[in-house]
Amino acid sequence: MSPNSDTPAAPDPVGTQDAPQAEVTVTLPANLHARPAGKLAQAAARFDSTIRLEHGGRTINPTGVLAVMGLGATTGTTVRITADGADAEAAVRSLADILANAE
Amino acid sequence: MNGSVGIVLVSHSAELATGLGELLAQIGSDTVPVVAAGGTDDGRIGTSYELIAQAITKADQGAGVIVLPDLGSSVLTTRTVLDDHPRADVTVVDAPFVEGAVAAVVTAAAGGDLDAVITAAKEARDVPKL
Repeated sequence: MSPNSDTPAAPDPVGTQDAPQAEVTVTLPANLHARPAGKLAQAAARFDSTIRLEHGGRTINPTGVLAVMGLGATTGTTVRITADGADAEAAVRSLADILANAE
Repeated sequence: MNGSVGIVLVSHSAELATGLGELLAQIGSDTVPVVAAGGTDDGRIGTSYELIAQAITKADQGAGVIVLPDLGSSVLTTRTVLDDHPRADVTVVDAPFVEGAVAAVVTAAAGGDLDAVITAAKEARDVPKL
């Protein structure tokens, strides 16, 4: 650990957890409006993993439909999905699929 | 508890309640019973004891029912109905009408129980729209 704070990036504690982690970044084919937000929130609630959605510097829990809509994510921008937990891989895949196929 | 938590939308305007119900059908799912109770018995602006009482019965699948009033006499009339027919699993919730209903229907569609649906509706007040 260097005493010099010349690294702008945050420390990255990758590989220290026992629970599986997964992440994927999706470029939105359409605005993240009410209908896909509803689908996303319902899907997110079916997994045990802790899931996060990141967009435009904000991070939210996708089980909250209003929080998903509040991201205001538009066509062509990216959303990063991360998950921690036993079903992290399946959770990320499921949510990425909904985002990638939103109309 | 086989069915979904039910949602009753109480508004002074039949169109407002019905329209919100149509929006919920798009965002949530057709497995959640959403019943509109808007306007008076004869279709004017106002609220109806009978319509609200009937809507609660219709929305009840055995997992409980939340009633979302828009404001004013929607709250008062709903309270009168619930005072006359008190049930532990039917409750009026203090939440923003549109946002609370959207949060509630998604939570109910995901299999949330009555407490989870009530919490989701209440929390809608604190979620920024922008």
